[in-house]
Amino acid sequence: MLKNYLRIAFRNLSKYKFISFINLFGLTVGLACCLLILTYILHETSYDKYNRQAGRIYRVTRSFNNDQGVVSLHLGAVAPPFGPLLKNDFPDIQQVTRLLPIGHQMPMRYEDKIFNEGDLFFADSSFPGMFDMTVLKGNPRTALADPFSMMLTPAVARKYFGDADPINKVIRMNNQFNVKVTGIFQPFPSAAHLHPEVLLSFNTLKDSAVYGEKSLQTNWGNNAFYTYLLLPEHYPARSLEAQLPAFLDRRMHPNDAPADYKASKYTRLFLQPLTAIHLHSHLDEEIEENGDAGRVTVFGAIALFILLIACINYMNLSTARSSLRAKEIGIRKVSGALRQEIIIQFLSESILLSYMALLLAVGLTWLTLPGLNSVTGLQLSIYTLLQPLVLLPLLLTPLVVGILSGLYPALFLSSFQPSKVLKGLLKVGNGNVSFRKVLVVTQFAITIVLLISTAIVFQQLHYMQNTSLGFDKEHVVTLGYNNGLDNAYESFRTALLRDPHIRQVTRSSRIPSGRLLDDKGAASTETGDSLRPVNATIKYVAVDQDFVSTYSIPIVAGRNFSRDYATDTTAFLLNVAATQALGIRHPQDIVGKNFRYGKVLGKVIGVMADINFESLHQAIVPLILILPDNKDAANAFGRISIKIAGNKDNITAALAHLEKTWKTYLPEVPFDYTFLDEKFQQLYVSEQRQGTLFTAFSGIAVFIACLGLLGLSSFSISQRIKEIGIRKVLGASTTGLVRLLSVDFLRLIILAALIAFPIAWFAMHSWLSDFAYRISIQWWVFGLAGLLAAVVALVTISLQALKAALSNPVRSLRSE
Amino acid sequence: MIDLKRISKWVNVGGKPNFILKDINLHIKEGEFVSIMGPSGSGKSSLLNIIGMLDDASEGEYFFLGNPVHTMKEKQRSLLYKQYIGFVFQAYHLIDELTVYENIETPLIYQNIKSSERQAMVADILDRFQIVGKKDLFPTQLSGGQQQLVGIARALIAKPKLLLADEPTGNLNSRQGEEIMDLFKQLNKEGVTIIQVTHSEKNAGYGSHIINLLDGRVELT
Repeated sequence: MLKNYLRIAFRNLSKYKFISFINLFGLTVGLACCLLILTYILHETSYDKYNRQAGRIYRVTRSFNNDQGVVSLHLGAVAPPFGPLLKNDFPDIQQVTRLLPIGHQMPMRYEDKIFNEGDLFFADSSFPGMFDMTVLKGNPRTALADPFSMMLTPAVARKYFGDADPINKVIRMNNQFNVKVTGIFQPFPSAAHLHPEVLLSFNTLKDSAVYGEKSLQTNWGNNAFYTYLLLPEHYPARSLEAQLPAFLDRRMHPNDAPADYKASKYTRLFLQPLTAIHLHSHLDEEIEENGDAGRVTVFGAIALFILLIACINYMNLSTARSSLRAKEIGIRKVSGALRQEIIIQFLSESILLSYMALLLAVGLTWLTLPGLNSVTGLQLSIYTLLQPLVLLPLLLTPLVVGILSGLYPALFLSSFQPSKVLKGLLKVGNGNVSFRKVLVVTQFAITIVLLISTAIVFQQLHYMQNTSLGFDKEHVVTLGYNNGLDNAYESFRTALLRDPHIRQVTRSSRIPSGRLLDDKGAASTETGDSLRPVNATIKYVAVDQDFVSTYSIPIVAGRNFSRDYATDTTAFLLNVAATQALGIRHPQDIVGKNFRYGKVLGKVIGVMADINFESLHQAIVPLILILPDNKDAANAFGRISIKIAGNKDNITAALAHLEKTWKTYLPEVPFDYTFLDEKFQQLYVSEQRQGTLFTAFSGIAVFIACLGLLGLSSFSISQRIKEIGIRKVLGASTTGLVRLLSVDFLRLIILAALIAFPIAWFAMHSWLSDFAYRISIQWWVFGLAGLLAAVVALVTISLQALKAALSNPVRSLRSE
Repeated sequence: MIDLKRISKWVNVGGKPNFILKDINLHIKEGEFVSIMGPSGSGKSSLLNIIGMLDDASEGEYFFLGNPVHTMKEKQRSLLYKQYIGFVFQAYHLIDELTVYENIETPLIYQNIKSSERQAMVADILDRFQIVGKKDLFPTQLSGGQQQLVGIARALIAKPKLLLADEPTGNLNSRQGEEIMDLFKQLNKEGVTIIQVTHSEKNAGYGSHIINLLDGRVELT
């Protein structure tokens, strides 16, 4: 029996090629979208799970409160003493490992080969045991035990040693110390929250020239050490976490703190499951930019919506073509078919079609995955689908899709009464037509929501890339600051400025596009004749006298730092937001007032305008610029920024001069620069990707929905062919007929738009709320999206309507 | 075999019943060849549909081989007619997507007859109707007469006791029509009860018994 069903299914597919194509194509594209997004979801949710001990590893994170108990900062990393102390105080903790990212480019030299390396980490010797690492050479247990030893990935090793055996070779780091290669490890999988290329032994830090053993035990302020705990199987991590405030009070006591200092009042420690880092951790400092559970959900929903649109097409087209199958159904019933047998026949057709679509979708996925990879920057592989837990549901999907899209047509078709259909008296009921209208409205509502979302994502992107940040980011080149310049900086600067294209050169601890995370603790301001503490967290950036002018930051009151005033090393430059946080109405009121920031007591010399130092996701925070004195410069500065004047040629010339000067002063350090505006672009890469994907998916949705509309309109017109004939005989014009036939569908689109608007508004409103600086949603975007959907739909319909209106009425009237 | 008691059929038009069949009493014995005649709209086809269980009567009782059809559910009725009744239509009503062979085979599929058995039965009937050579053709490749032959073959494949024919020769020329009627007569001799609806006096003459319908009532002859 099934054979008979399949046979007729195939013959029907090949007989009505166009409709079969629409159905098959729609389902294929829908399923391919699902497969693509499924590989993406599988990738995103698989982060760090490759570790055999993944379920037992927790990361320690630390939050900071201001005096009011409000969390002002939450870092993914903690201070170095915590790791060993936790291990000591909680015997249940089986292992602790600490990881310190170097965070900037580190010049490494072997013989005459010098390169900058970016992904360097100091790692405890327990690191290779806690995380699953494939160690190709060396002993994973001891490779990171000795100070001044390190492990490399094969790619890094090859750069320095070619094909020679890297083990026991010695590399000079930043022209400061030598490190011996003790191991080679495979790069981490792409689904890992960190990707070290170079692992330096943590014990190296004990050397006082590098970091110092004492600092490792007492530096509570340097929260850059990612600390991981290995807990026993099924260990209640929450109960351990609950004991951490007491642990803080017991163990953490900074040198300058008063005797009754209770650490837990100002800071808290949290335990974060390793596997939750990628999708759920968005702390102020992360090793790499993490994914976003919300985004994964959004794309999952989009995939299902596209599949739904394709299923609706199938329903619409199958019921629309019901008159073609009516006779067959009548005959089958007369021949003794039960209703359920007819239902099974039609379901087997839709299921067959779905399986064909799945087959094609796998092919399409395979073809388009590289495209998705290049858009998302991920390394998704179709082979991730080949795991039993995925494959089984995947193979059942067409069954569900087939039933979902075939059930309604099957129920509808099997209800035909043979005595009527065989007499040619079949009138497809109105109830059926209105159900199909509901389906069309659903399709177009989804489509319009996607269109609006696309438009708003792009508007926001455009806004972020073009809005004024309050300073000049164009033609600014930035380089990593190297301590080799500490003593020669003034001469280096003068040498650079000798090139007329180079306008300004400045050093700073951070540069715009980075985060503002540093603060020196409490601030106090002069009120009357005493200092009063300030109830606000103020972040700082250490700069030199040229920072403000390099970035063209407007000074609102007072003056910039100047080489003319030796006392400026205790001077402060606030931003407007900081003055507001201090409760000062007019910026000039604070200029010249005493001010204490951290341990430094000095004067406010000026107020600068608020600038969007961080990405536009972040609101402008109170900020203070400080000028470290020369002896602190080594630790204070991280970047050099160089402002170049004018056009492209200038930039080329200036860069050449810059490189030449760099090589003169820092022969041991490779010349490595970035343009600041590119750094700003990169801040919005994930939004850009989201925008591209939104465009692609909403385009697909519109296309599939229009294919469905094509089918539906041709059906509806064929139903009214007699009416059209009569109207034509009575003298109706072609345009009048096209209007008559199109207006029904236009109503549906308008209804769809009315449903879509609030949904889209709500969705985009919540999407935009992630941005501190955002566009306001404008009504015309909605109008435009609705109009676009209507125009595309109308073109589809009127082509059909025109064909009907131009046909000879004699034929349609005779055939009745 | 067939017993209709006070069968009426109406449809509501503007809230008022419009009678298609009114108060039909009919008794047809096994082995009869009955022709139903009457002008257009007299209710011939409706009566045939009710007898064939494709349609319900609005009122009245219908016994088929002693079974009270009027009290049965659709499923039971379906089981009954697929066992005992074959249909032949004016417009042949073959499934265009199936070959001659497959069209004839269809009723057997719904009776859950095994494939090998089906093959034998279809081969028999193809042979008998001398259309073996056409078994792999599709309906559109056949002439009207040939299509109706296939339609009859399909109606007979499950060896029904009752053959219902709704103007079986209406779309055929007179020569083809005669052939079909001769075949009916032959079948009737072999014991198949036949009820046909026809416009043609000549075709009605093949039957043993004529029922005349006018405005939904049986005209007494």
